[in-house]
Amino acid sequence: MNNGSLVKLIDVHKTYRTGEMEVPAVRGVSLEIKRGEFLALMGASGSGKSTLMNILGCLDRPTSGSYFLDSADVSGLDRDQLADIRNRKIGFVFQSFNLLPRTSARENAELPLVYSTQRLSHAQLRERADRVLASVGLAGREDHPPSQLSGGQQQRVAIARALINDPEVLLADEPTGNLDSRTSVEIMAIFQQLNERGITIIMVTHEQDIAAYAQRNVVMRDGVVVDDRVVPQRSDAATQLEQPLPSTL
Amino acid sequence: MRIAPTFNVAYRALRRNKMRSVLTALGIIIGVGAVIAMVGIGNGAKAQVEAQIASLGQNVILIFSGSTTSSGIRTGWGGAGTLKIEDAEAIRREVSGAIGVSEEVVSTTQVAAGNQNWFTRIFGESADYFDIRQWPLSDGAPFTPQDVRSANKVCVIGRTTATQIYGNENSIGQILRIKNVPFTILGVLTPKGLSPQGVDQDDIVIMPYTSAMKRVIGGTTLRNINVQIGDPSQIAAAQQQIISLLRQRHNIRPGRDDDFTVRTQQEIAEAATATSRVMTVLLGAIAGVSLLVGGIGIMNIMLVSVTERTREIGVRMAVGARGNDILTQFLIEAVTLSSVGGIIGIICGIGASALLSTYAHWPTLISIGSIAIAFLFSAAVGVFFGFYPARKAAALDPIEALRYE
Repeated sequence: MNNGSLVKLIDVHKTYRTGEMEVPAVRGVSLEIKRGEFLALMGASGSGKSTLMNILGCLDRPTSGSYFLDSADVSGLDRDQLADIRNRKIGFVFQSFNLLPRTSARENAELPLVYSTQRLSHAQLRERADRVLASVGLAGREDHPPSQLSGGQQQRVAIARALINDPEVLLADEPTGNLDSRTSVEIMAIFQQLNERGITIIMVTHEQDIAAYAQRNVVMRDGVVVDDRVVPQRSDAATQLEQPLPSTL
Repeated sequence: MRIAPTFNVAYRALRRNKMRSVLTALGIIIGVGAVIAMVGIGNGAKAQVEAQIASLGQNVILIFSGSTTSSGIRTGWGGAGTLKIEDAEAIRREVSGAIGVSEEVVSTTQVAAGNQNWFTRIFGESADYFDIRQWPLSDGAPFTPQDVRSANKVCVIGRTTATQIYGNENSIGQILRIKNVPFTILGVLTPKGLSPQGVDQDDIVIMPYTSAMKRVIGGTTLRNINVQIGDPSQIAAAQQQIISLLRQRHNIRPGRDDDFTVRTQQEIAEAATATSRVMTVLLGAIAGVSLLVGGIGIMNIMLVSVTERTREIGVRMAVGARGNDILTQFLIEAVTLSSVGGIIGIICGIGASALLSTYAHWPTLISIGSIAIAFLFSAAVGVFFGFYPARKAAALDPIEALRYE
């Protein structure tokens, strides 16, 4: 594998079988993502971007083709091995946050460590969760359950949870889909900040202006990549937030 | 995965639905409580029967006359009059290990003293009888071998008989007329209570068997012979020895039935406790059904819980939980419900038994063994009924689970 290449897909196909019918969702995608990239995966509903995202997130296996993550072929791993890869190398951020209800922000953030092979003491767990929560601007909210947090704050807890295991890649599936425009910019500001610190981010979105915060846009249609380009005029979330007027998004 | 956080997760999940957890555990509490209480009642009844059997005396062999076939007519125990006084003497003489022998004749008759009279049982015995049955006197003294040899007109009476005839007065030295023969009362026996058959053992007059045969009952044969063996390990050998001795004395040819019946106390005890053992099993089984129903309740709630928490399971899988981690989490939840229910159920069962003993005067007996079995069984119920829902959770597809509404 090339140095610096974190994700490499080679002719990946995914076909779902519903009864006698075979429904192709991804039809031959080859893609290479370098370490430190911020990539937006775009496409209309049914374009296959969610299926590709599930494969990238090791939640699903390709029907054919190869997937190299961090130079290791993960396309043939079994359920448990995939679970370990997700635990060590991937952080997920979902559209609907998917936090555990009636559970404090700290304990939500700690969740991946519970399934980690690392053995951390209770104090170490707590210390790491508090640090990562502070890094997304949630210092002082560690004991709040999701019901006492705003949508933006909940998504920050989810980001903290995704980051706690120092993953290779952060996978975000429509991370701003349930947020208002101002909060969306705040979340993008966090993503850009994390990306500047060297974290690779792959984000699924169908919104053009959200994709504009990424460095690279990959557009899918009917299960194949139809466009792959560098974003010419990248939006800078931090600058936008400094403007006093409500976001123009 | 670490076990401590898994317990924490299970505990939190149970607390989140307090009412539901309490009601689910209640099924197990009632089940285990019922098992403990019912088995306690059964064992208590069994212990009571055993105690009554033990009151027959220690290491006793009973020989009944009868069970003979003459001209095709078979007589029951004690019916044929085949046991002679000489048989008892032969046993006393020849059976090794026999430390006490009592010839027994039995009758019922009217007894009278002053202006009082009473219908009671008359037992004719040897002087060994009080040792064989471990039946001491509360007042006075027993009759002696000399009284037996001379067929003296003496007797001892049971507590019930004493109360019926003499009330609170001292009966020792008084004259009791039995079939118009005056007997001197030498002593009063300690109360023994009901026999396993429900007969008041204290409603009795005991006199030398010689006196009974000569002056009250008549006849020349014994109803039965009580033999006490000193060493319990020799009982079986003594039983065989008695059988061959009596067959020889009664000239019974090989192949013909005995004209007597030999029973050890052990055999009688087994027959008597068989009933209460059946009762224990039956009560336990009925209570076990309620434990089963409690287990099904756990399974039901765990299935609901798995469905409700499908998204949570998806999130856990997405962040790296393996199928086994999810399985363990839900199993621990089920086992926590069932074993906490089990512990409370054990306490309730003990409480219920105590109430029954105190207010209903039912004998109950709760052993450490039955507590341990009840606890292990309730934990096993959790594993058994929790396994299916837990496996269902573990087999979920993370993508489907995350998408679940």
